Amino acid sequence: MKISTFFGIHWLRALFERNFNRWLAKRIPSQSEHSLNSNNILIYPTRFGLGYVAIVTLIFLLGTNYQNNIILLLSYLLASFFISVMLHSFYNFSTLRFNSVNKQHGYVGEVISFPINITTKKQHYDINVLFADKQLINKSLTNKVSLAIAKKGTHTVLLPFQATKRGLQKIGRVIVYSEYSLGLFKSKTILDFAHHAIVFPKPKSLVAGQYQLSGQADEPVIESYHESTHSGSDDFSELKSFVTGESRARTAWKQLAKGQGHFSKHYQGSQGQLQWLKLSDMPGNDIETRLRYLSFLINELTAVNQVFGLDLHENSITGNSAKNIAPNTGFDHQQACLIALALYP
Amino acid sequence: MSFFTRKLNGKLNKNLNSNPMNNTATLLPVNTFVLARKNAWLLWLCQCLNIATIALELGTWMLAIITLSLTWQAFLLHRSFERPNSKKLAERRTKHAKNKQNGPVSPFVLATFAIAGCLTIVITAPQHGLLISMVHLLCFSYVLKAFELKARSDFYQLILLGIFVLASALIFKQDLAFSAMVVSLLLLNFVVLLQYFSSNNVFFANLKIIGILMTQSVLLAVVLFIVFPRLSPFWQIPIAKSAETGLSDTVKPGDIAKLTRSSKLAFRVSFEQQSPPVYSQLYWRAMVLEDYDGRQWTKRFKRDNNKPSQLYIEANKAGVKPITYQVLAEPSFQKYLFALAPANLSEAFNGSIIPQSDYTFLSSSVISQTKAYHLTSYLGAPIGVTLDDDSKALNLAYPKNSNPRLEQLALQLSHNYSEPLQRAQAVLNLINEENYAYTLEPPLLKNNSLDQFFFDTQSGFCVHYASAFTFLMRASGIPARMVTGYLGGEYNEKSATDNNKAQGHLSIYQYDAHAWSEIWIQGKGWLRIDPTSAVDPERVNSGWSDDLLQQQSALINELFSRSLFKNSDFLNALRLQFDALDYQWTKWVVGFSTKQQYDLLTAWFGNVKSWKVALIIVITLIISMTAVLFIFNWLNRADKKQHRQNLADKIYAKALLTLAGLGIDKPPAMTVNDFAKQIREKQPMLAISFTRLSNSYSNLCYQNVSEEDKALLTITMQQQYQQFVKNIKSHK
Repeated sequence: MKISTFFGIHWLRALFERNFNRWLAKRIPSQSEHSLNSNNILIYPTRFGLGYVAIVTLIFLLGTNYQNNIILLLSYLLASFFISVMLHSFYNFSTLRFNSVNKQHGYVGEVISFPINITTKKQHYDINVLFADKQLINKSLTNKVSLAIAKKGTHTVLLPFQATKRGLQKIGRVIVYSEYSLGLFKSKTILDFAHHAIVFPKPKSLVAGQYQLSGQADEPVIESYHESTHSGSDDFSELKSFVTGESRARTAWKQLAKGQGHFSKHYQGSQGQLQWLKLSDMPGNDIETRLRYLSFLINELTAVNQVFGLDLHENSITGNSAKNIAPNTGFDHQQACLIALALYP
Repeated sequence: MSFFTRKLNGKLNKNLNSNPMNNTATLLPVNTFVLARKNAWLLWLCQCLNIATIALELGTWMLAIITLSLTWQAFLLHRSFERPNSKKLAERRTKHAKNKQNGPVSPFVLATFAIAGCLTIVITAPQHGLLISMVHLLCFSYVLKAFELKARSDFYQLILLGIFVLASALIFKQDLAFSAMVVSLLLLNFVVLLQYFSSNNVFFANLKIIGILMTQSVLLAVVLFIVFPRLSPFWQIPIAKSAETGLSDTVKPGDIAKLTRSSKLAFRVSFEQQSPPVYSQLYWRAMVLEDYDGRQWTKRFKRDNNKPSQLYIEANKAGVKPITYQVLAEPSFQKYLFALAPANLSEAFNGSIIPQSDYTFLSSSVISQTKAYHLTSYLGAPIGVTLDDDSKALNLAYPKNSNPRLEQLALQLSHNYSEPLQRAQAVLNLINEENYAYTLEPPLLKNNSLDQFFFDTQSGFCVHYASAFTFLMRASGIPARMVTGYLGGEYNEKSATDNNKAQGHLSIYQYDAHAWSEIWIQGKGWLRIDPTSAVDPERVNSGWSDDLLQQQSALINELFSRSLFKNSDFLNALRLQFDALDYQWTKWVVGFSTKQQYDLLTAWFGNVKSWKVALIIVITLIISMTAVLFIFNWLNRADKKQHRQNLADKIYAKALLTLAGLGIDKPPAMTVNDFAKQIREKQPMLAISFTRLSNSYSNLCYQNVSEEDKALLTITMQQQYQQFVKNIKSHK
């Protein structure tokens, strides 16, 4: 009996939520910018508001039972005050404008912040911002960001998201609410910025020698590309500041001896063969661990400005180039590689 | 214990957060409830005032406990907000905090308080009755709750309790001044609430917001009050067992003199379209006392032999001009009502008013709130022409030898004057001619002996004279009885309105209480004879003499005594004006009955139907809702823009005025830019500075610039104006 009612409630709730979400998607579609008006503001009484209504009803009963006109008048006054407060709440909440960048990156275990810009035309009070997804809230440190007073102008709040899992994380909607002016009503909106986080695997350091960079011998297309771009090999190109982890063999000893600083010699195509980071080369059985090693190596190689490519095939034999990222260097390349790691199935 | 630590933590957090960080979000700690110092004190004040509204109804012990806990609360507040100005203070504070954390003092005291309070409520319950006990419980929990403000919900509960305390205070008192006070306290309660959400604002800014919201709500509230159907009580409720005020059903010499120290309102009467009868006719009959035991007169509760309806037919036959009036009786917590005898009820009142055979009226229940009723009186018509034997015997009875000297006198009188009326007149003459005094401070009588009064002390108040007179009449064989009520009343014409020709109203206060006697004469019925008229004719014809007033103000130490009002016309006018307002309030709001509601609605909207009522409510709702939004929008706009625009206008106008002083006038039709061009051509000396000023002004007026730029531009314009003035001066 008890179980069936429980399931009944559960089912009803699920039905309600589905319908509500559908309604919400229609009412407040995904946008990078939202402006609050009567279409997207929900106002409903808080628990205090319901308590207030209860007290007003009680006062009404008191007045009726004592046939006391003044108490009745007081209850009517309190009741219509309730409605005035609702409108004041709405007034405080409307005309707010929000915009936000929908994509953020970060590593597993990090707190990723989603900045939300709030533009106000007048003074607003008690603006609270949080993610709608309750599962996200529980894990994060502080679940809501409050703005006790928002003066005219633009304000930025940072919504923290604790990244726990590698991959593309859809964060869902953002709840903005305010209980101003008297806490009787909650003015609320559930905005959809299509927020998502791309969570990279957490770097796991590899001891040197545990891996080696290898060429992509059996890839003629890449090979020819390599040949065309890198005509002569071992041509000295520049001196760069020494970065910890670089081979001592490349140290520019002359300069070091002269006391001009620790530099390392860099050669055009000095890495000899084109460098490929291969998933199949990584130690460990677990795919996640291997991805973490790759994450570490990508960062390391980017730090020393080394050109490298990324091969995400699980075994070295497959000839599909779709999971490859052509060798390159720099921040964009790093991001592209990390994203590829994050999105690895 | 955690209460203190939370408070301290909260304060630290607050200090951390109070840095000017307007453009960045502050991370507030979750689940800590903090009230700012200012607001905590405001809440405390609010609590004190809320309790004060109902304090008069509370028992002494309860009041003591509540006062104690409020004081303690204040002490705690003072402690927790002690400012760490110096290191020493800070050290001391942390020490305190430690002590508070460890020491078991606080919860112990709190528990003691709770137990003491509950015991008081239980012990005093039988004495105070159910209603007051419940009020005790309410107030006590309201005060105790303030010690337990751990979360925001506790704060909310405290506010709700406060509102309910205010509402309950209205059970006991409903006059205009009190109601206004309750509403203003309600505002204060809401300001405390608002202050929590916008503590940066000053108190008056928040008060303004709440005030506007409340004013907005008034319209809907009034419409609801007028059109919302009155419901009958849902269940039996405990009635306030307040102290009875006014007359009582036993009276002994000296009783009414005490009553005259009270300037409390007893009832009000409006004579509608007629003018009120002369003062000496205004004998407001309340009770007839027929039992005399030698010391005091007591009302006899007997079964009614005469059917009430018969009394009125008799009155109607007399052919005197009837006068109709409405009485608004203030709560007296007794049952008797007031009438000018003989009177007839104008409406049936569903048996809630019962006419008595002695021409008084009784309410079927204790009058615990203002009661309104209409009467028709036939002044001068005979009452009780027939008297049955039982009544006759009752009205002739007196304990033999209770006042031997008076009995002796009565015997003598009956011997000398055979006609009853002559005999009565002889007694009055005696009182008038002998050296009798009418005083508020009659000497005490041994065993309330009438002999002692009549022959020895010879000074007394109305009851003395009426008692002695009635006794003499009975002893000399004339049926006589004592009647108590009120005499006269204060006529207030401020409540008169021209359009419906309504006259002013009479206010009858407790000090108008009076006692007189009635004698029964064959063929004429009961005749009213007031022995007071023999000793102090002024009292009967126009009211209190100056002598009496002085005596009264010496006896009572009221701030606004009656003699003060009598001496200052301005104060008196003010008092009468307020009395008139209060009268309208009592008549239209406190006494607004279902019938009044029905009459009003039919007069306005024809037949009353529920859909009409609903429609009216909905329309009002829409009107007041739009008004709320409109007003706030308007205020917001008016606040800033207007100010800046005005400043620019003023500066430009000043510049034009300076030019006009030089003989250059700007034609009203000419635009700002054209005028600047004209100046450039005609006054090359002023060209540069004036063109700059004009450009700023036209930018401010006609171009879309952001608010910050506008502010800057206004400042620039001020500087340009000063340059311009300097320029003119140098060229002179």
